[in-house]
Amino acid sequence: MSKDKFVFIEQTGEDNEAIRPSLTYWQDAWRRLRKNKLSMMGIVVVILIILFGTIGPNFTDFSYSDQINEYKNLPPTLKLYELDGRYFHVSNDYNVFLVAEDGTLIERLVLDPLKRDMINKVYTYQLGEEDVILDFSYNLLPNKMGYDYDFTLELDGEVSQYPAMTKLNKLFPFGTDSLGRDLLTRVMYGARISLLVAFIATIVNLFIGVVYGSIAGYEGGRVDNIMMRIVDIINSIPLVLYVILLMVWFRGGGLTNIIIALSSVYWVSMARLVRGQMLSLKEQEFVLAARVMGVSKSKIIFRHLIPNAMGPIIVSIAMMIPSAVFTESFLSFIGLGVSAPMASWGTLANNALSGLTTYPYQLFFPALAIAFTMLAFNFIGDGLRDALDPRLRKG
Amino acid sequence: MRSFYLKRIVSMLITIILITTLTFTMMHSIPGGPFTRERPVPDEIMRALNAKYNLDDPLPIQYLNYMKGLVTFDLGPSYSKIGTSVNDLIESGFPASAKIGLIASALIVAIGIPLGVISALKQNSPLDYFVMFLATIGITVPSFVIATVIIYIFAGKLGWIPSFGLDGWRSYIGPVIALAGYSLSFVTRLTRSSMLEVLRQDYITTARANGIKEFTVIMKHAVRNALIPVVTYVGPMIAAILTGSFVIEKIFAIPGIGRHFVESVSNRDYTTIMGITVFYAVFYLIMIFIVDVAYAFIDPRIKLKGDK
Repeated sequence: MSKDKFVFIEQTGEDNEAIRPSLTYWQDAWRRLRKNKLSMMGIVVVILIILFGTIGPNFTDFSYSDQINEYKNLPPTLKLYELDGRYFHVSNDYNVFLVAEDGTLIERLVLDPLKRDMINKVYTYQLGEEDVILDFSYNLLPNKMGYDYDFTLELDGEVSQYPAMTKLNKLFPFGTDSLGRDLLTRVMYGARISLLVAFIATIVNLFIGVVYGSIAGYEGGRVDNIMMRIVDIINSIPLVLYVILLMVWFRGGGLTNIIIALSSVYWVSMARLVRGQMLSLKEQEFVLAARVMGVSKSKIIFRHLIPNAMGPIIVSIAMMIPSAVFTESFLSFIGLGVSAPMASWGTLANNALSGLTTYPYQLFFPALAIAFTMLAFNFIGDGLRDALDPRLRKG
Repeated sequence: MRSFYLKRIVSMLITIILITTLTFTMMHSIPGGPFTRERPVPDEIMRALNAKYNLDDPLPIQYLNYMKGLVTFDLGPSYSKIGTSVNDLIESGFPASAKIGLIASALIVAIGIPLGVISALKQNSPLDYFVMFLATIGITVPSFVIATVIIYIFAGKLGWIPSFGLDGWRSYIGPVIALAGYSLSFVTRLTRSSMLEVLRQDYITTARANGIKEFTVIMKHAVRNALIPVVTYVGPMIAAILTGSFVIEKIFAIPGIGRHFVESVSNRDYTTIMGITVFYAVFYLIMIFIVDVAYAFIDPRIKLKGDK
């Protein structure tokens, strides 16, 4: 047959199977994770919180331990009373502040002890040469006699009962605490301490857990049995108790002590997980191949087995970090945390407790920070589990 | 069956001995005795104190005495509360802690599991989203924050419940919610995810294909299997809740064991710390044991080792 009898059709390439670049395990996982909106949001939030804690304090005007005696217990929003074109804020403990129209604090008015009329509840403050009179006797009246305000402010005969406007506190966006420290800076600093504790404790736990678990799992037999009995015993002690005991034993707080206490117990669950992975992985052919080629035991464990168990390990890390943040804040809350003037979110929450009814904002911000961090890490963890769990893979 | 229980009990005893030894060594290796104060105590008083509490014996003897006391459930005297023994403290504190703990645990089981099941059955419905939203909040907000917010709003602003102590049913509301919050959310989430997984199984389809009533399929075939991971969590959780509500007791000023524990930690009252730790640990171990036994009833596939 001659070639003329054939007509070549143009190649369109349509029939060719579309060749996709083959993805590695991690590229595939990343592709999945990226589709998970909540997880991506979690990652963004975590990055923001890390930035907030690391470089944030450089942008505030105060350091975490600066105490400004004039400005104690100031809320993040200021109610301003207008008198004679000027604006005043009256704090819950009856200090009067002169405030600019945009919410920047200018000064605290001087209260002459002689003009502090405790019986009639009328204080007279000095603003330069002028007198500002604060009359807060209304709360003394039975049922306040129908008045719907708590105090009046008087300057040059002009009286103001109702706030003219509410402005954000420009100088202290999160307010100040009972010692006059800027809460924004302190929450930033708290982020630094809380995350530092969480990350270091998690890394140490990871290291101990992975080494312990992989040795137990790979060796098997008697070694495994003994090592796992030890884990069982540690696991049957309520861990929080043990951490508290350790903290008592260390005689008080301190950053290093907390980290040591946290990292000495929480590796147990990691060890169990890694052991389980090792038990199934070590039966696979590639391990046999490596062994046949005479690869040393430690190299098999660290080069071949652990990288293959990385998926579940990473998921468990993502869950470990928030629980470390949680435990740390719990410890700080019962007074076993970092020592003053250092602060973690737990200490900040603990400090806010005494003045809660009057200054609730002092608890609000650290609590919000803890909740945000927990939420973000939980979302990341959930997303990672979906992305790395081979059981959920389709096709 | 019996040999399994025996084995478990023996290993429990070993664990208790280990924990006690560990706590004992830790508490006795802290530099400075329990009577070290800012102001030095005169030598004679110190000696008398040490003699009174047998602290002048060599450590091994003290250890043996302590263990001997343990066997007869005698946890020794409290160092900082003169005239009271650790037993007294536990006896006086346990009822309050247990009451709150039991109510909270009952609430968790009675609300958490049904909520999880319903939300799994109505997956991706508004109800499911709402329940999961609440559960996520419950997991992410620390219990001490929940407690303080409850005090601030319901006790302070609205005045519906008392902010401290335990008298009248109203006073239980705050502590119970704060105590149950985290575990309730966790149990709900756990039940939901485990239920979803069970519902995907083939045997559920088979049961449905056989024409079994939907209610029976869910209750008899799905829920029973879905509860296995939940039971694993609930057992130790009950132990932790019945005993370990330090923070909640501190915030609501409830005279429970947890408060004694926190106080003893800040007072460095070593015998009390030791006693309460041992008490907690034993309680915890017993709960884990009960969970293991409960497995056999829920899951017929699990045959306890040694069972013939």
